Amino acid sequence: MRLKYASAVVRCHALLSELLTPEQIRRLAETENFNTFIDQLSETPYGNISLEAYRDVSVALEQLFYRKFIERISRIIDITPKKIASFLQTYYYMRFEILNLKRILRGKFGGIPSQQILESLIPIEPYHVKDFKELLEQETIEEIVKHLHGTPYSNLSESIQLYKETEELWPFELSLNNIYASTILKLVETLSSPDRVLVKRIVELETDIENLLIALKQREMVQDTRRLQSLFPTTFKFNIEKMKEFIESKDIKQFIIELGEPYTEILSPIYEGDVSLVRSRLRQQIYRTMKRGRSMNDFGFNVIIAYLVFCEIEKDDLVGMSWSKAQGISSENILKYLVLPQFI
Amino acid sequence: MSGVRPTKGYLMDLKRRISFIERGTEFLKLKRDHLAKELSTSLEVLRGRRKLLLQNLRDAYGALTAAYLSLGPTEVKSQVRAVKKRLELEVLPRSVMGVRYPYVKFVSKPQIGAELDVTLSHAAKKVQEILEELIQTAEFEARVERIADELGKTNRKVNALENTIIPSYKQVIKFIEDKLDEESLEELVRVKLIGGALARRRV
Repeated sequence: MRLKYASAVVRCHALLSELLTPEQIRRLAETENFNTFIDQLSETPYGNISLEAYRDVSVALEQLFYRKFIERISRIIDITPKKIASFLQTYYYMRFEILNLKRILRGKFGGIPSQQILESLIPIEPYHVKDFKELLEQETIEEIVKHLHGTPYSNLSESIQLYKETEELWPFELSLNNIYASTILKLVETLSSPDRVLVKRIVELETDIENLLIALKQREMVQDTRRLQSLFPTTFKFNIEKMKEFIESKDIKQFIIELGEPYTEILSPIYEGDVSLVRSRLRQQIYRTMKRGRSMNDFGFNVIIAYLVFCEIEKDDLVGMSWSKAQGISSENILKYLVLPQFI
Repeated sequence: MSGVRPTKGYLMDLKRRISFIERGTEFLKLKRDHLAKELSTSLEVLRGRRKLLLQNLRDAYGALTAAYLSLGPTEVKSQVRAVKKRLELEVLPRSVMGVRYPYVKFVSKPQIGAELDVTLSHAAKKVQEILEELIQTAEFEARVERIADELGKTNRKVNALENTIIPSYKQVIKFIEDKLDEESLEELVRVKLIGGALARRRV
C-alpha cells in the first residue's frame, strides 16, 4: 500500500460496504409503489426521509441523493493527498458547478424566477465562482457572463457574439464543456502514471460517447459541418473526421458495428430505437471497468476512484428510480435503464 | 278543424305550402343521408386515428420516461427552459354543409433546437408530434360531434315533417276538398231544383 493513500484507501474499503448492493437496488425498483419505495429506502444508509414539506417529491429526493453523494466525495477528498484531492475536486465539483451554471443560464434565458432557478441547482458550495445567488441577481445573460470574469469560465465571453446571432444557449454550453474537458485533461496528466490509466480510460470513453451523441443529434438537424471544430473541441478515439463520417453516414448500424467494442455495445440502442439506453450502457461499461480496475490493486488510487464512481452510479440509479416510482412507472420499464441490477 | 276556412283560395294556398314543405323535406332527407354518410366515414377515420394516437402516446411517454431516467427530473426541467417559442394556437370556425366546427391553426410551434440533449430532443419531437395529432384529433372529434348533432336535428325535422306536419296539412286539404265537394253538390242540387221549378212555372 502506498502510504500517501493509506487512510483514504482504508476508508474507501470501509465505505464500500455502505453502498447499496445490486440486489437492494433491484428490490427498490420492484417495490409496489412510491410509499413502499420510501419505506424500503429508510432501511438503507439513507435513513428516514420526510417529504411532506416538498412540492415535488422526486426533485426533493434528487437533491437528497446529490447531497449524500457530495458528502461522500468530501469525506474522501478531506483525507486524500493534495494532488489527488485537487483532481477529485475538479472532476466532481467543477462538473457540478458547470451544471449549475448551465441551469442558471437556461433559467435566465427562459425568464424563470431566481428562486425557482436556485431550487434547481445541485446543492454544492460554489467552487470557482463566488456565489450562485450573485449570478442569479444579474438581469441578463451578458451580465452573468461578465460576472464570471476572473474565473476559469471567463472564456464564455467569446461566445456572446454567437449567442446573439443564434439567440440560442448552445455556444455557452459548448464552451463550458470545453473548459471542463481541457481542465480535466491537464489535471489527469498531473496524476502519477499508474493512477492515470484508469481515470483516462473513463474520461476518454465518456467524452467519445458524448461526442457521438452530439453527432447523432447533428445527423437529425440541418447539417452544418462548418461548425464541427466548435462542436467537438475535445476528441479521443474518434477525431473530427470520424464525427463528420458519422454525421454523413447512410447506414448508422453498419457504422456503429465498425466502431468495435465497447462502443458497439454502448451505442447499439441507437439503431435499436432507444437512444436513452446509451447512457445506461455507458454507465454499465464504466462500472465494469471500475470493478476490474479495483480488483487489480486493493491498495491504490483505483480503490478511491472506484468507490466514487460506484457512489455516482448508485446516485444516478436512485434519482431515476425515485422519479419513476413517483410517476407510477412499472418496475420492468425502470429496471432496463438502471445500471446496478444488471450486475446481479 | 276550427279556424280552417274551407275556401278554394285557402285550399290553393295550402296546396302550394304543402308542395313547398314536401320539396323541403326531400332536401332535408338528402342532407340527412349525406350527413349520415359523412358521420359513418368520419367515425371510421376517428377510430383509426385514436388507435394510432394511443400507440404514439405510448411511444412518446416511453421516450419521455427514458429521458427523465437518463438525465434526472431537474436536468430535464432545466433543459426545457431553454426551448425557444411556445406552442401557440388559434381556434377558427369552419363549416361543412352548414355545420360549423372549430378549426385549430398552429401559430407557432416550440423550437426543439440545439439546446436539448439527444435523448430529450427525441422525446420532445415525439411529444410535439403527438400534440399536433392530439389537437387534430380533438378538432376532428368536435367536427364529428357537430355532424352527429346536426344529423339528429335533421332527422327530427324530417320525422316531424313526414309524420306530423305533412299528414296534418293533407288532412286539412282533404277536409276542405270534401267541404268544397259537398258545397258544389249542394249548389248543383240547388241549381237543379231551381231549374225544375222554373220549368214547371213556364209550363
